[in-house]
Amino acid sequence: MIRFKTAIFIAALVIYGSPAWSQTTDSNIKTFGYFQISFNHQKDIQTRNEVNSFQVQQLNLFLQKNLTSKWTAFVNFEFLNSYSSFRNWGAHSIEEAWVGYRGSNQFKLKLGLQVPTFNNLNEIKNRTPLLPYIIRPLVYESSFNEIIAIDEFVPARAFVQTYGFIPWGDTKIDHAFFIGNSPNINSDRRRGQTGTDTSDTFLFGGRLGLRLPNLKAGVSVTFDNQDFSDVADSLNYPRARFRRMPRIRLGGDFSFNAGRFSGEAEIIRVTYDDDHPVFNGDKEFFYGTLGYSISEKLFLYGSYWAAGEKFLPFGDRDFNVETAGISFALFDSLVLKAQYARAEISATQPDREELDLNYYALALSAVF
Amino acid sequence: MAIIATHSPMKTLLIPLLLITAGATDAHSQVAVIAHKAVQADTLTQAQLLDYFTGDIKSWSDKTPVVVLDLKGQGEIKDSFYKLLGLTSSRMKSIWLKKLLLGEGEAPEALKSEEEVVKKVASTPGAIGYVSRSKVNGDVKILRIVEKEKL
Repeated sequence: MIRFKTAIFIAALVIYGSPAWSQTTDSNIKTFGYFQISFNHQKDIQTRNEVNSFQVQQLNLFLQKNLTSKWTAFVNFEFLNSYSSFRNWGAHSIEEAWVGYRGSNQFKLKLGLQVPTFNNLNEIKNRTPLLPYIIRPLVYESSFNEIIAIDEFVPARAFVQTYGFIPWGDTKIDHAFFIGNSPNINSDRRRGQTGTDTSDTFLFGGRLGLRLPNLKAGVSVTFDNQDFSDVADSLNYPRARFRRMPRIRLGGDFSFNAGRFSGEAEIIRVTYDDDHPVFNGDKEFFYGTLGYSISEKLFLYGSYWAAGEKFLPFGDRDFNVETAGISFALFDSLVLKAQYARAEISATQPDREELDLNYYALALSAVF
Repeated sequence: MAIIATHSPMKTLLIPLLLITAGATDAHSQVAVIAHKAVQADTLTQAQLLDYFTGDIKSWSDKTPVVVLDLKGQGEIKDSFYKLLGLTSSRMKSIWLKKLLLGEGEAPEALKSEEEVVKKVASTPGAIGYVSRSKVNGDVKILRIVEKEKL
């Protein structure tokens, strides 16, 4: 039944969104998207285990219609890891469904499911054609979801956002403020995973930044409350101080272009109720990339990523990745990528896996 | 110089001829940023041009929408204009791809020839484009002229 519904849904998407439909109904719905197919080979340095895999790493389909000269509607469907409901592979989700209002450069509004502005990469983390990477910097790589709590580092969703910029000479002051659900959407055991926020708290956040033609920097912050009742149960500790634990995410981002060189760096610090007597779930993340455009089509980069997750009293984990890659634009809408990464994961928690592996990947990213 | 300075019967013929030739050479070595005649701006800075051509600012001071026109493919005029903006062609494409994928806008329409750009700018309120100065006619207004050699 699920397969049948999915097939109907995709057929409707293609038919209603196709240019042919647009012409016959004089509709101006735009249908576009991108996908990235990849081959990766990874080898565990200690166990010598090897993995080779082809996959459709990601496919995104967009529908957009300008409702008036100031209002637009935008929908983003995402399919991950060779999605197949029949084989129970991958995942399919509505990543974004919002209407946008452009009042002025200083005031723009988005209402609906959206990826909030946080640091430089969050908003575009899944736009693979915009990124030279095949695997993205740790907390922005959705396929790492099983080994790192990526949603705890960066806000994944918001529902109301105002944003824009204020010109100040040649400089622009960027601003964005958003509201979303608390991170407890799936925590109600009685109701299961409903997609409904079962708490009475919200996510608040925003970014303030400066932008020059070849330089961009900003600071981001979010405030919300996480429910760690399960942790309290496992520690035999009263739930009261675990039920609504304040969380603050702080981020900083910097990027530049200087001739053929370009660079970007980000830091994120996540803190939970610092005075808590038992629990410490603080997290830190850093990435820095330096790139060089050999030509208009060929781009070379080297990057370092590091993340640390505390989950005390249980233990903590550290991630370190050194990576380098190259991207070659065959033409405007088709980019070939290659990437090597050396990844090390160390853990103080006995039941957590430690890893030390070499990762090689090739990918083709297409915009259509 | 020797020819001009010499009083000869050819003088009256040569001077205008040299001036015309020099003028024609200048026009060919210059890039003109042109706009529809009703656009309420007489000149634009490099920063303002960058704002319009990267879609950061989408309307003129009188709220008329900015209609940006680009040239297809690669060429001397396009390269010169992009250098004025301080961008490479690939960087410009990347900026517009980001806007497209974020639902913030579409890349400017790219026309095949400079003649088409002049014609479309002349007929489209709010339009702005760039061509060789030698292609400019009285149907459009010039907002900025850049010497290619100085780019």
